[in-house]
Amino acid sequence: MTAVSAPSRHLLTLLALLPLALLHLWLAADLDPFELWAMLDSAEHGFAFLQLQLSALPRLSMALLTGAALGLSGSLLQQITQNRLVSPMTIGASSGAWLGLVLATLLVPTFAANHGQWAALVGALVAVGLVLLIAGRSGIGGLPLVLGGMAMNLLLGALAAGLVLINNQYTQGLFVWGAGDLAQIDWHWVQWLWPKLLLAVPLLILAPRPLSLLQIGGDAAQARGLALWPVMLVLFLAALWLCSVSITAVGLIGFIGLLTPNMAKMLGARTARDELFYSALLGALLLLGTDALALLANRVSGQLVPSGAAAALIGAPVLLWLARRHLAAEDPRGLQLPRGAERFSWRSALWVAALALLALTVALGLARGVDGWRLQWPSALVWSLRWPRVLTAAAAGAGLAISGLLLQRLLRNPLASPDILGLSAGATLAVMLALIVFGGAVFGSVAPLAAFVGSLAVLAVLMLLGRRHHYSPALMALLGISLGALLNAALQFVLAKGTGDSFALLGWLAGSTYRATPAQALWLAFGVLLFGALALLFQRALTLIGIGDGVAASRGLNVPRVRLALLVLVALLCALVTSLLGPVAFLGLLAPHIAVMLGARRVMPQLLLAASLGAVLMLLADWVGRTLIFPLQIPVGIVASVLCGGYFVFLLIRGRLT
Amino acid sequence: MNRWLFGALLLWLAPVWASEAPRVAALSWEATEHLLMLDVTPLTVADADDYRAWVVRPTLPEGVPSAGARLEPNLELLAELRPDLIVIAPLLEDIRPLLERIAPVQVYQGFSQEHDNQQVQREAFLDLAHSLGREALAEQRLQAMDAELAQWREQLQAHYRERLPTVTVIRFSSPTAAFINGPNSMPQHALALLGLQPAMDLAPSPWGITQVPITVLGRVEEGVVLHIEPFAQQAQLFASPLWQAMPFVREQRFAAMPSTWTYGGVFSLQYLAEAIGGALLKLPSESGKAPQQSLE
Repeated sequence: MTAVSAPSRHLLTLLALLPLALLHLWLAADLDPFELWAMLDSAEHGFAFLQLQLSALPRLSMALLTGAALGLSGSLLQQITQNRLVSPMTIGASSGAWLGLVLATLLVPTFAANHGQWAALVGALVAVGLVLLIAGRSGIGGLPLVLGGMAMNLLLGALAAGLVLINNQYTQGLFVWGAGDLAQIDWHWVQWLWPKLLLAVPLLILAPRPLSLLQIGGDAAQARGLALWPVMLVLFLAALWLCSVSITAVGLIGFIGLLTPNMAKMLGARTARDELFYSALLGALLLLGTDALALLANRVSGQLVPSGAAAALIGAPVLLWLARRHLAAEDPRGLQLPRGAERFSWRSALWVAALALLALTVALGLARGVDGWRLQWPSALVWSLRWPRVLTAAAAGAGLAISGLLLQRLLRNPLASPDILGLSAGATLAVMLALIVFGGAVFGSVAPLAAFVGSLAVLAVLMLLGRRHHYSPALMALLGISLGALLNAALQFVLAKGTGDSFALLGWLAGSTYRATPAQALWLAFGVLLFGALALLFQRALTLIGIGDGVAASRGLNVPRVRLALLVLVALLCALVTSLLGPVAFLGLLAPHIAVMLGARRVMPQLLLAASLGAVLMLLADWVGRTLIFPLQIPVGIVASVLCGGYFVFLLIRGRLT
Repeated sequence: MNRWLFGALLLWLAPVWASEAPRVAALSWEATEHLLMLDVTPLTVADADDYRAWVVRPTLPEGVPSAGARLEPNLELLAELRPDLIVIAPLLEDIRPLLERIAPVQVYQGFSQEHDNQQVQREAFLDLAHSLGREALAEQRLQAMDAELAQWREQLQAHYRERLPTVTVIRFSSPTAAFINGPNSMPQHALALLGLQPAMDLAPSPWGITQVPITVLGRVEEGVVLHIEPFAQQAQLFASPLWQAMPFVREQRFAAMPSTWTYGGVFSLQYLAEAIGGALLKLPSESGKAPQQSLE
């Protein structure tokens, strides 16, 4: 592959672009090549001609422009950060843009209809700014940046989902944009976009020098008199500008910015300049190809298939494959959370107990009714309706906290949790498939089973991929990211269909205790207790593995076997919770951390404290969800994700600033 | 077993309800429409405010409180309101045991490609009337609707001189995409009741709608296209040359119809027919008379 010289490689790619462009035109204009030829020949200009001129050609130009812009933006970002996993999607720009537009549509609908791009732009910039702040200077080159981006994606995604769910009728038109559709009706967007992409020209001329100096190493660059940080900052902003305007013009199209620079590198682009140019070229080629696929699917199925969905379907597996190549080795740089107390004091214990008591009282006794707030012991009927929800919330919180703790100890990664590793995403994806296959009518009964199968499947993939790489945290997080992105694309696709089923799905995705029956609540509580007790049996093993595999093995522990057993335990816990509740992000991540910050550092106290904290947090989240916008209810998953996610981001930023 | 018991209970209770105002909680909008058309003001309605904003007709009195979301109605609130009967859509079938602790439950089919949506809504209305002991009123209302429809049919035939156009009803979702109301959608049923043929052939889908790129509409060579208002970006779309070049726009076979709920109960057919008929009467009488076009 590397035998081809740079000029001929570029030429070959350009040549490949031609037939692809013809194919794209053919699919978009709905004309076969002969008709196309005949039309260019004849003087008669019917609707078909206008369709070619005003829909197919702008769409082709749009695919080329945005593809090139996204490719260039990705390549710039990757070269600046020296991080092969960075892209607009992985550092939170896309989800920021989406939330920005959702907010604008809800708050100022007329402004959003005409100038929505600015809302998207601001959203993207704010989100990326926060992610950079989280990762910090030292984390930009490694996994922390990607993990921070993932956290931001989860948090903003939960916020946007909540907003859409509460205002379900008003956001219809957003879904098509959110799914990333390249369809055009005139040259308006092309004319809007191309002047804004002119920035690429000076970039392509000026950026290669500082970037190649950076390749040698930051110190060497400084030694040659380059003021490194200002230049990098300007380049970074330029890259964000390119991707923000593209997102604004065509919606959420992930993966292109991530894949093209990696492919360029693999196909032999060595120098900074070569990589920039070739990424732009490849980006155009790739997006044109995926859009042609989307058009084809459109034609076969007779309904709209957004380009973004096609990109994600291709991108997610490729990302995994890339990850296997690049991230085989363990990445030692994790995110550091603030350290807390040295040991768990009686005062903290009292605080936690008081909080638990308060949470329980509020969850059971304080509610809103027809005539306002009231604090009272519920009547027999209300009690029978309320206790399964309260028990489900508490048990789920404890279960998620335990599974998060086990993962963090097993993988020696403070950021491990079921949602980050993709177990929840896998479960959700399976539920979505079930909805598409079986339809909304049997949704309630099929969903739990599908969730169970889904998270077990993800675990199996983790096992297969992970064994070769000693369960590298980076690889596992990447699986989570790929699945998360795939899930998001599938979700946008289903939402864009705009039927009543879409909202049933969104409701389930939000994670609600609403449909918990007494039997399910009891089973969940029993399961969590059982698995929690099992986890306690592995106390010694967890402590040893937490120190290091070598230490554990030297003490006579069969590390691979114990690790496998514990991972299966985690998957079972996660499947149990997700199948009843839907995904809940951040709780499994945060509860063990708070336990540590309160001083519970050994396995047993940390596990017990984390489980109770998880239960308390979920109790409160469920109560807030039930009462905040009474008589409507916000699903507990969204409340918990937003509260815990917000706190998590706050912790990370505070840790960075001090 | 329980269902039979409740059914028996309902039959036994029916005459009692006929005399006094029944306390019914409507957790679906179709049921809300049907209750209102039976002159029963529901005790509470799921997503009552959204109903007032989107379904609009028949009018829901201001005082009726919301029962929470249609997907997740507030059970504790329902328990507090003590209804005598709860009417739900199949979407809530899985929480039926919970609802049955509060009051007897009746479930009516929603939208599906498995059955004739119009027929199902009609039967649901009659069945509800039966359990409330208001069959006579129900028959009267249905006859009134049929008479109204017949009137619209006559007006259209007079306007188009018995050569009726083919019609397709759409709703824009963005300047580049639109939902087409296909087979088994309420708008298409309304068209059929007006004696009109669809201008596009579509495959059946559960909710009767299919989203397509806007250029697909260019294939409507003959026939009329009606769009359901409102559409926020209509200025942008309607000004574009491509839109102007669509055969039905160029030949003025395109009109707007006022905002009408398209997933409603049996009487939504009447409102849809009114909206469609009103829009068609405004078009010149030689619009779109030709055999229908296929979407292949």
